Amino acid sequence: MEANEQVVSGEPMLESPSKPIKIKILTKSTIAIRITLLALAFLTVYAFFSFDYKEIDFGEAILATFANIKAMFFEAHFNHFTFTHAFYQVLITLGLAFLTTIFGAIIAVFLGLLAAENLTSKRVSAVIKGIVAFIRAVPTVLWVLIFAVAAGLGSVAAVIGMTFHSVSYLVKAYSESFEELDNGVIEALQASGASFWQIIFQAVIPSSLTYMISWTFLRFEINFAVAVAMGAAAGAGGIGFDMFMASNFYLDIREIGTITYFILAIAILLEVFATKFKKKLRVNG
Amino acid sequence: MTPLLEVNHVSKQFGNETKALSDVNFSVSEGEFVSIIGPSGAGKSTLLRCINRMIDASNGEIIFDNMNVMNLKKKELKMVRTKIGMIFQHYNLVNRLSVIENTLHGNLGKKSTIAGALGLYNQEEKEQAVKILSTLGLVEHIYKRADQLSGGQKQRVGIARALIQNPRMMLCDEPIASLDPNSAKVIMDHLRNISTTMGITVLVNLHQVDVALKYSDRVIGINHGQVVFNGTPKDITKDDIQRIYGSEAEDLIFDIGGIHAS
Repeated sequence: MEANEQVVSGEPMLESPSKPIKIKILTKSTIAIRITLLALAFLTVYAFFSFDYKEIDFGEAILATFANIKAMFFEAHFNHFTFTHAFYQVLITLGLAFLTTIFGAIIAVFLGLLAAENLTSKRVSAVIKGIVAFIRAVPTVLWVLIFAVAAGLGSVAAVIGMTFHSVSYLVKAYSESFEELDNGVIEALQASGASFWQIIFQAVIPSSLTYMISWTFLRFEINFAVAVAMGAAAGAGGIGFDMFMASNFYLDIREIGTITYFILAIAILLEVFATKFKKKLRVNG
Repeated sequence: MTPLLEVNHVSKQFGNETKALSDVNFSVSEGEFVSIIGPSGAGKSTLLRCINRMIDASNGEIIFDNMNVMNLKKKELKMVRTKIGMIFQHYNLVNRLSVIENTLHGNLGKKSTIAGALGLYNQEEKEQAVKILSTLGLVEHIYKRADQLSGGQKQRVGIARALIQNPRMMLCDEPIASLDPNSAKVIMDHLRNISTTMGITVLVNLHQVDVALKYSDRVIGINHGQVVFNGTPKDITKDDIQRIYGSEAEDLIFDIGGIHAS
């Protein structure tokens, strides 16, 4: 023990052990962050006190919500449709997601090539990226509703609107993975007299294939969620429309539970499949 | 011998200020092995890239196989490029593709756009690829992905990709700068062999003066974008080395006398 103490007291850092050592220094940014967090915490607490609760008893409301959730998930049943019907509707929703992702991916590969700075000029890239950023800034649902003006509310507007947004999303993702390619590879093939499209298909796309596939999968998952919403919001059919009917028309919370289970199952399946596929790609590709 | 490559009064200016090359003149005969040495930033890489127009020179003329490279149109330029193989310090292979696919890339310039883009090669091309890979000692790796190879093996694939073009000339941009001494020796031996047995002209950028003196028929020294030495390895003196590398050359770690003796 004594020896230990001697070693410790010999260290310069601990010459005055009474003074606490700070690990974080207070800078302007940390002070700003702390003030913001404090303000937010205060506003949250204040908001709960300032709500207009009308006649609602807070405790009762919480209990009722739990009762609803219990009814939804533990007493789920079929009432207005059968299992096969629900399964078929899920397939339609999946089909909508698949179609829009494939359309989007095909268009986005070509636009992505034009938007990659190392493959075209800086100006072309900037123009395409600017347009695409604008399209991306507007939510998918809004695009579907915009196209519904011309195509009428329904599956056509949903396909066009979702494709539109998928293209803009994938163009960004693809062009960024193309830009990550080592310029030397392109130089080497140019030096041997290869043409633009040969370089694209022999060097650029093989090098970025893994990235492209994982981005496309991500977009497919997003499109599945959007396709469910589109069924309800734009009358595009599929499981989303049944959900809309169950909630807004029949007010059947137990049926909503069934539909939620269906969507959850599909989402998990997609996730598992995507993970397995990516792993395989990394080993063999 | 008739010169295969003539470089006459070539200059290259980047922007308004930086002059990478100024009034470079030299010629290379068929089958010659020529090293270009000089300090970093002297313009060695720029010079090499001006020859196959990866960079456009500002002034002068470059005559390869009786054609002025500087005036060629896109299609003719591609034709010329198929006759000039190029290898790089960082190999520049497509990492996700196999060795044989990377080798066959050397043929793209001669193929139609669609066949090349889809990677459709005929039996003859494949046989030639296997033959070249076996002379380079890579035949057991032909289906390996390029990123699974060592640096020396990658550079040999780079050489194979250049050789399948059936080139008249090889441009090598610091081919051994990222390699350990053993792999570097293997690569230099292969390059020397290509020059001697196949009669292909080899033009190499090098950092290692001793390697340049040992392997080359002729050495060209460049400093500040100008040719300051052009002669056989035997003729090079300490003063020449000093002119190429500047005043610090006194402290360079090699000894010319020793190299000449060996």
